[in-house]
Amino acid sequence: MRAILIRQVLWLVGLAFLPAIGQALYYRGNAAWQQPPVDAAQVTVAQAKNWGAAVLWIDARSDGQFASAHVPGAMQLNEDDWTELLPKVLAAWSPERKLIIYCSRQTCNASHAVAERLRNEDGLKNVYVLQGGWEEWQKSDQ
Amino acid sequence: MPMSTGRCSALTIGLCVCLSLGVDASLVWENPEVDLHPTLSDKTAVAHFKYKNTGDQPVKITAVQPSCGCTTAALAKDVVAPGESGEITATFNIGDRSGEQTKTIRVRTDEPKSEGTLLKLKATIPRLLELAPAFLYWRPGDAPAPKTIEVKIDADFPVTKLDVSSTDPAIKVESAPVPNEKAFRITVTPETGNRPVNAALKIQPDFPKDAPKTFYANVRVDARPAPFVAPPK
Repeated sequence: MRAILIRQVLWLVGLAFLPAIGQALYYRGNAAWQQPPVDAAQVTVAQAKNWGAAVLWIDARSDGQFASAHVPGAMQLNEDDWTELLPKVLAAWSPERKLIIYCSRQTCNASHAVAERLRNEDGLKNVYVLQGGWEEWQKSDQ
Repeated sequence: MPMSTGRCSALTIGLCVCLSLGVDASLVWENPEVDLHPTLSDKTAVAHFKYKNTGDQPVKITAVQPSCGCTTAALAKDVVAPGESGEITATFNIGDRSGEQTKTIRVRTDEPKSEGTLLKLKATIPRLLELAPAFLYWRPGDAPAPKTIEVKIDADFPVTKLDVSSTDPAIKVESAPVPNEKAFRITVTPETGNRPVNAALKIQPDFPKDAPKTFYANVRVDARPAPFVAPPK
């Protein structure tokens, strides 16, 4: 009885391995763990708050939205006024600081665009995007 | 009386079919995605999104929301009569953007059960030149050794000269073409002593002549006290 049970278990395990082996062969050299995450440099509000004064906050929203409210100490940088705003950000930046960029909400794209330009064009490291953006920051403050 | 599983499934399927039929919007978009290819001298890219009310009731457009401040959307008429056509004109201000740009415009109507439409404006903006990197930084305590910026010119554009100047005279700049390449090399040397400097480099190619373009790189010489390192005992 016990031998039958073990045999059945082994059969089931073997069957489960078949599609796994097939997939591994098909995606050889392209395994999920070898792929970069969708955006590896995203941080949550809680993580960002833990970093404290090491963070340089960058608000990628429009002038009006920034003027109405923003993360305390945040500097404004968006693609509309890139040339005018960037020098102020670079003057405040230093290699040991972490830049966290946010826009209105999770689905907005401005923070990703700004982060990409800072990394690729200006060669800055430690550039992160805030998950959930300003919307999430406000929730954490309530 | 308890309902049988078969009847319950039929009811669920029926409900789903009814709901999906109800979602059909009467405002039909001819081209919800527009691809634009502005030229180097264009300051804006304009997209026309055409619609038609195919229903038998008037439809009111209640909101037109562009995804960023760089795009404005103009609506000729907010109430669309049955059978009537119209368009939303979206104007994207290019600014100093280049490469692939995608902006969206959310259009909401008073149609019941409609979640609105997401219009997409894709613009491929020519990249005249590329700076690598666009920011040079000297750490505290770094020797004021020269650093370089490689300027790669797009193959389609006949740039023969780059004028480069610095907003701070203590930052010396020199531009020279790279032999056998469509590129220039800008050499930047800080002669600032111990003075901290934040400067911008103004880079002006000699093309296009009718609409001159200016690009910027940034330079920072950090003169904060260098971190103390204890001498080895």
